[in-house]
Amino acid sequence: MDATSSLAEKMASKTASSNSLDSSSKSSSLGSKHGAENGVLRDTPFAYLEGEEDQDQKNDVTYVCPYRGPVFGALTITNYRLYFRSLPLRDQEPPLVVDVPLGVIARVEKIGGATSRGENSYGIEIFCKDMRNLRFAHKQQNHSRRTVFEKLQANAFPLSYSGKLFAFAHAAAAQPAANANAAAVSAGCDGWAVYEPLAELRRLGVPNDMWRATKLNESYGICDSYPAVWAVPKAASDDFLRRVAQFRSRCRLPVLSWMNPRTQATITRCSQPLVGVSGKRNADDETYLSYIMEANAQSDKLTIMDARPSANAIANKAKGGGYESEDAYKNVEINFLDIHNIHVMRESLRKVKEACYPTTDDSKWQTAIDSTLWLKHIRCILAGAVRIVDKVETMSTSVVVHCSDGWDRTAQLTALSMLLLDPYYRTVRGFEVLIEKEWLSFGHKFQQRIGHGDNKHSDADRSPVFLQFIDSVWQVSHQFSNAFEFNEHFLITIVDHLYSCRFGTFLCNTEAERVADDLKHKTTSLWTHINSSLDQYLNPLFPSFTHGAEPVLRPIASVRAVRLWKGLYCRWNPGLCAPQHGCQRTRELLSKQDQLFKHVNELRLKLNNRSNNMQTTTRLASPMH
Amino acid sequence: MPDHRKRNTFTSYVAPQPGDIRATADTNEWCLPSDLRDVHLAKPRLLSGEQIVASAPAYMYSPIAPMENPISSTASHTTHSNGNGSGGSSSSSSRSSHKEASFGLLSVTNFKLAFVPLAARATLASAAASPSDLYQENTFLGRNEVTLNNIDQIYTIAEQGRAASALQAARMASSNSGSGSGRRKKLEPAKQQHINGRIVALHVICKNFRLLKFAFQQQDSKLSDYGKLIASALARFAYPMRHDLSFAYVYREPYYATLLPGGVSMFASKNDWARELIRCGATEWQVVSASAVPQLQNRLQACKYTLPPHFVIPKGCEVERFLQLSLAFCDSRAAFWVYSYGSSAASLVRLAELHPASQQDNKLENIMLELVRKCDERRQLKLLQLTDQLPSIQDVQRAYQKLRRLCTPETPEKFMLQDDKYLGLLEKTNWLLYVSLCLRHASEAAATLRASVTCVLQESNGRDLCCVISSLTQLLLDPHFRSIDGFQSLVQKEWIALEHPFQRRLGHVCVASGEQAPDSEQSPVFLLFLDCVWQLLQQFPDEFEFSQTYLTTLWDACFMPIFDTFQFDSQAQRAAAVNEGRLVLRPVWDWGEQFSDKDKLFFSNPLYQRQRGDLSAAQQHHRRSLAVNNRLQLPSATGGAAGAAGASPSRYTINPQLFSTQSSVPQDRYLQPAHRILDLAVWEQCYYRWLPVLDIRGGGQPQVDLFHRLLLSNIAKLQRSIDLQNFDELPDAYYDAQGEKRQREQRAEEEQPVEYVDGVERRRKSMPSTTASASANGLQQVVNGGNSTLQLSTLSSFFPFGNPIAGDAPHELYDILSSSSELLLDTSSMLDKSSIV
Repeated sequence: MDATSSLAEKMASKTASSNSLDSSSKSSSLGSKHGAENGVLRDTPFAYLEGEEDQDQKNDVTYVCPYRGPVFGALTITNYRLYFRSLPLRDQEPPLVVDVPLGVIARVEKIGGATSRGENSYGIEIFCKDMRNLRFAHKQQNHSRRTVFEKLQANAFPLSYSGKLFAFAHAAAAQPAANANAAAVSAGCDGWAVYEPLAELRRLGVPNDMWRATKLNESYGICDSYPAVWAVPKAASDDFLRRVAQFRSRCRLPVLSWMNPRTQATITRCSQPLVGVSGKRNADDETYLSYIMEANAQSDKLTIMDARPSANAIANKAKGGGYESEDAYKNVEINFLDIHNIHVMRESLRKVKEACYPTTDDSKWQTAIDSTLWLKHIRCILAGAVRIVDKVETMSTSVVVHCSDGWDRTAQLTALSMLLLDPYYRTVRGFEVLIEKEWLSFGHKFQQRIGHGDNKHSDADRSPVFLQFIDSVWQVSHQFSNAFEFNEHFLITIVDHLYSCRFGTFLCNTEAERVADDLKHKTTSLWTHINSSLDQYLNPLFPSFTHGAEPVLRPIASVRAVRLWKGLYCRWNPGLCAPQHGCQRTRELLSKQDQLFKHVNELRLKLNNRSNNMQTTTRLASPMH
Repeated sequence: MPDHRKRNTFTSYVAPQPGDIRATADTNEWCLPSDLRDVHLAKPRLLSGEQIVASAPAYMYSPIAPMENPISSTASHTTHSNGNGSGGSSSSSSRSSHKEASFGLLSVTNFKLAFVPLAARATLASAAASPSDLYQENTFLGRNEVTLNNIDQIYTIAEQGRAASALQAARMASSNSGSGSGRRKKLEPAKQQHINGRIVALHVICKNFRLLKFAFQQQDSKLSDYGKLIASALARFAYPMRHDLSFAYVYREPYYATLLPGGVSMFASKNDWARELIRCGATEWQVVSASAVPQLQNRLQACKYTLPPHFVIPKGCEVERFLQLSLAFCDSRAAFWVYSYGSSAASLVRLAELHPASQQDNKLENIMLELVRKCDERRQLKLLQLTDQLPSIQDVQRAYQKLRRLCTPETPEKFMLQDDKYLGLLEKTNWLLYVSLCLRHASEAAATLRASVTCVLQESNGRDLCCVISSLTQLLLDPHFRSIDGFQSLVQKEWIALEHPFQRRLGHVCVASGEQAPDSEQSPVFLLFLDCVWQLLQQFPDEFEFSQTYLTTLWDACFMPIFDTFQFDSQAQRAAAVNEGRLVLRPVWDWGEQFSDKDKLFFSNPLYQRQRGDLSAAQQHHRRSLAVNNRLQLPSATGGAAGAAGASPSRYTINPQLFSTQSSVPQDRYLQPAHRILDLAVWEQCYYRWLPVLDIRGGGQPQVDLFHRLLLSNIAKLQRSIDLQNFDELPDAYYDAQGEKRQREQRAEEEQPVEYVDGVERRRKSMPSTTASASANGLQQVVNGGNSTLQLSTLSSFFPFGNPIAGDAPHELYDILSSSSELLLDTSSMLDKSSIV
C-alpha cells in the first residue's frame, strides 16, 4: 500500500514545489541538466560552464520575491550569470534559487538612496528580457550594493564597456578540451554544419531548368545583409541581378526561399521597391518579377504579399519606398497582410508582461490579455502565412513576400509558411535549418532587435519579432500536436538562448558580420548544444505524423483558436503555471510497445532458428535415402 | 475513384468558396423550375408514430455562409485535396463541390425538424452498401435533423422590398440580420403573432449551440408562403405547453434493456442506496422509501411533501420527525445524505433553505444541522451556503445565452467582428467565471471531506447548483465516478434520483405566462456541470474513462424525448407519465439504442488508466467486497421489509450496520483541479463544432486520441501474437521499427490476400519507402503524401462531430478502434496483466 499513495503524493509535491521559483528550472532550459554535465564542478551550488568565472559574491542579500516575500541568501555574479540561493530557514523548505544568465538582463537600476528608510527599500532592481523583474535588497551599511551594481553592468553589458560577450570566453575555454567538440562534430552534432545552403537548395530541387544557385554575393558586395548564396531564376544574368538590386530597398532583391518540388510554385522574398512619391518604375525589376512568374509553369499569375497594412505601405512612398503597382507589373496581384511594425509589437509585448508579471487579476484576465492585442498580432501573422500557403499549395501560384526592409515581417511570413508547407522544417534538424536560412542568413538583425550586451534598453530598434515567430510556431504546434518532431521545451530553449549570449548562433546582424567575426570558430552553436542531447526536445506524439499524413498544415487563424503561451510568458509566475501533465502516458505506451517489439523479435528469431534447424535436418536426412 | 462522386454530392455544412457561382449553377438547383420537381422524393425518414406536420422546399445554408475572410480558406480546401493524389490541384479546385446552400425538403414532424437535401438521395441509397464514415450518427436523427426539443429560438426574416430571387433575399437577410432592422424577428411561441410580409428565411438556434439557416423559394402565386408554413408549424409544435404533447408519449416502441446489471446504478430502489451507503462506509445513516412510510401514502398528507421515492437521512432521526422538519424547507428538502468519504466517513449532505415564510426562525434549521452533526464521527460539520456564493439559475441562463451568441454568428462579418474582441466578449459572458466558481466550491467541499469533516451544501431548493457541486465533489474524490458506469450512476444519483428539474431547466415544456418572463425557469445547469467535468478532463486526461465526445453526446441526449432520463422534474412526474400517459421508459444510458458500436467506442478515453500501480490490488479487493455485500444484503433487505409490523424505523429502512463495513473508496486518488479563469478553456468540441471555420483539419485532440488508440491497438496485436505464437499479423509499426523490409516484401508476395483484407496492412504496402526516410527527407513525403491511401491526419478537430472525410480511412480507423478498445473496454485488460502502469 505504500506505493499506492503515489498519485496523491505526486499531486501534493507538485503543488508544493510549484510555489518556489526553483521549480521553474523545468520550464527554463537554462538550469538544465545538460549544462551541469558539461560544466566544471566546483564546490558551489551550481555547475560552472566552461569559461565561467566568479566576479562577485555577497552573502547578505535579500531577494524580494514577489510571491514568497523577502528571502535572505547569497548572491553570486559570474561573467555568465547571476545566481541567488536562499538560506533555508526551516529544514524542510527547499531553498529558493534564482539563476539568470546576464544576457537576459535588459536594465539594472539602483533603488533607494542613503536616506531611504524601511526594510528592503535599498538595493537593485533588474529588468529582464524574458518577462521578469528581480529585486534585491542590500544592507546600506555593508556597501555591498556598489560592487554588485558595477559587476552587473560590466558583465551584462560588455559591449557598452568594451568587453566581449560570454559566448567567446565559453568557446575559448572549451577549445583546449577539444575532445568533446571533436566528438560532437564526428557525431554529426556540430551546429555550425546544420545548414549548408547548397545542400538545402538541392533538397528543394535547385538547380533545375528554371532556377540556378549563384555565389554572386560571395563577398557580400551586392547586398551586405544577404547571404553569400542565392537561388535566382535562370533567365536572370548576374549583371541583370545587380541592376534589379538597385531598385530594391537596401539592395534586397527577390531571392528564392522555397519551392514546391511538385508544382514549382515558389516563395521568394525581398524588400520594398524604391517607388517613391513619384511612382518610379524600373523595367528590370518588372522583368525580373515576370521571370519569377514564368519559372512556375502552373500559373500565369504572381502574387505579392506585402506584410504591411496598406496605409503603412503608402506612407512608405514618402520615404522613397512603396509597393508594386498592379499597373506597372503585369499579371501581378498585390495583397496587404496588415501586420504592424516592430514598435507596435514591442509595445504589445510590454503589455503582456504587465498582465502576466508579477501578479494577475483573475477576474480581469481575459480583458487584460485582449487589450494587449498580442493574440491579434499573432493571428495576423498566422493568417498571412495561411494565405501564402493557399496561394502556393492550392492555387500553385508563386508568391513574393516583402515588407519594408524584408528582414522582420518578411522573415516571419516566409519561415512560417515554409513550416506549414514542408514537413521537413517541422523536424528538429529542419527547424534549425529554417532558422539558419530564413532568419540568420537573410539578415534578421538579431543584434539590434535583442540588443545583446548593450545597455541601451530603450533602443527603438529592439523588438520581439523573432519571439513572435516562435510564438506562432507554438500556436501551430498547439493546433497540430503531432505534426512536430520537437516539443515546447525545444522552443523555450531557443528563446532562452536567444538572450543568454552563451552561444554564437544569435549574435550579430548579418551573415557578413558573422563571417567577419569568425563566429563559426570562436563560438559554439546553439544547435550543437541541442543536438547532443536531443531526447529532451522530442515530441513523443510525432511518430504518428510521419505516416501518410497530409503534409500541409492549415492552422485556424482566429482569436478563438489562438491562445496565450502561458508556458513561456507566465513561467516565472508560479501561480500561473498550470500543472503540466505532459506526455507521460504516451511515453509509457511507447516504451511498452518497444518492449513488445523486442519480445516478438526474440520469439520470431527463435521460431526461425527452429524451422531452419528442422529444414537442415530434413535436408541432411534426405541423402540418406 | 468511385467514392469521388459521393464526395461531390455531399453538401452539408462545408463553407463554400467565396462567390462560387459555378458550383451552384451546374447542379441546376438555383435555376430550379417552379414545379420544384423531385422535391417530393426527399422525404425524411420517420419513426413509428412520427407524422409530418408541414413540409416545404427550402435551401439550407452552411452555418457561416459565403466566406470572404482569409481564415475561411482552411476549411474548404482540405477535403478535395485528399483523394486527388498527384492529379494536380488546379483540377481539384474546379471539382470543388461546396455550395453556399443545398436545396431540399424541409419538414416539421411531431418529433423533429428535418432537412433532406435533394442531392443526398443518391448517397442515401448507396450508403447502405458503402461503409459509413466514422462520424457520429444517431439512429433517430440524421445529420440535418434536430429534435423539436432542441430548438430554442426561431427568428423569421421577412421579405423587404422586392428581391429578385430567394437566394438574393436570403443573402441580404443573412448579411444584414445583425443590423437590427425590423426584418429579423424572434418568433414568440406563446403569443399569436401576426407575421407581416412573406418569410424568406428562418434562423433556428438550438440548445446545443447549432444554428440552422433556411431560405425559401419565392413563388409566383401568392398562395403559398413556405416560410410562413414552416414557421407557424414550428411555433405550434416546438413549444409544447404540456409535457404529454411531447413525442415521448407517441413513440411506443417497446424497450428491451441491454444494460448489464451491476453496471449503472439507477438509484431507483432502496437497495441501490443501501449499497452506496455500504460502499462509502456510512454507518450513521438510513435509507427511507416513501412507499413504506404510511404518512406519505396517505393522499391528504402526501401532497404536502415533494420528496423523492428514496432518500437517506440521519439514523438518529425518526422518519416522522424528519418529515415534520422537512415541511419547513423548500421542496421538503431537509438534509439528504449523498456521499461519505474516508475512514471516518465524513458525509456530504444536501440541504434546501427554509421556506421564506419561516426564515426568521432558524430553529428548525439548527435542529436539522444538529441531527447531521451527530452522524459525524467527530461531530464536526461545515455548512457551504451556495446561494450567496454561486450564480443563480437566471445568471447561468444569461451566461449561456451570451456564450451561445458567441458561438452562433450568423454571418462571416459577425464572426470576424466577434473575433476582434473575442476575449473581452468571452469574459462578459461570465460562463467561465461560473465554471471557475463551481470548481472552486467543489474543491472546497472535497477538501472538507478529506479533512474528515461533514460538509452540508445548502441551496434554495437544493436541486440545482447543489447537484453541480455535490457531483463534482464526488468526482474529485472518488475514482469510481470517473469510470463510465460510475459517472452514469453519479448522474442518476445526484440529478435523477434527487430530482433536478430537467423539464423546467431544459425548457421541455414552454410555460405559458403573462407578465412573468417565460424562460425564468429555464437554465442549463446540467451543461454547466458537464463543462466543469470537461475542464477536469483537460487537467487530468488519464483519470477519466470517458472522453469529451461522451460529454458532448450527453448534452445532445438531453433533447432526445425518446429517452426519459432528462425529461422529468421529479420521479413522481415520471411515474405519472408511465401510469397515465403510457410512456415507455428508456434510459439514455443504454447508448446502443442511439448509436452503433463504433460510435460508442468514441466514448472511451484512450488515455485512461483504470488502475494505477499497486492500486489494482486494492481495487480488486474492493470489487470482491462489494460482491459479498450484495449477496449479504438481499435477504436481509427483504427480511426487513417483511419483518415485524412494529413502529420501529427498521421496518422501512435498511440498517447498514448489519454488515461489517468500511469505506471501500480509495483515498489516494483525489484530484485537486486548478480553478482560476486563466486555467480554464472553452469547450471547443461542444460549442464550436457547428462552425466549420474553426475546424482544424488534421489537428486538435482527435489526432492525439487516435495516436494513442493506434498505440493501444499495436500493443494489443503484439500481445495477441505473442499469446498465440503466431507472427503473421504484426502491426506495421513493428516492421517500421525493425527496419525489416525484406521480410515485408517477402510477406507481400506470399500473402497477397491478407494485404488487402486488413486495411492497415495495405497502407504499409502502398508507401514502402517513406516511413524509413521520413524524418530524414521530408520532401519525399510531400511528393508521396497525396498518393497514400491512409489519411489518418485529416480528421476534423471536432471529430466525431464536424465534417466527415471520405476515402479509405474509415476502414483503417475502424481497425485501430476495434483493436484498441480491447484494451480500453475490457476490465481484465491485457494492460493490467502485463503490468503496464
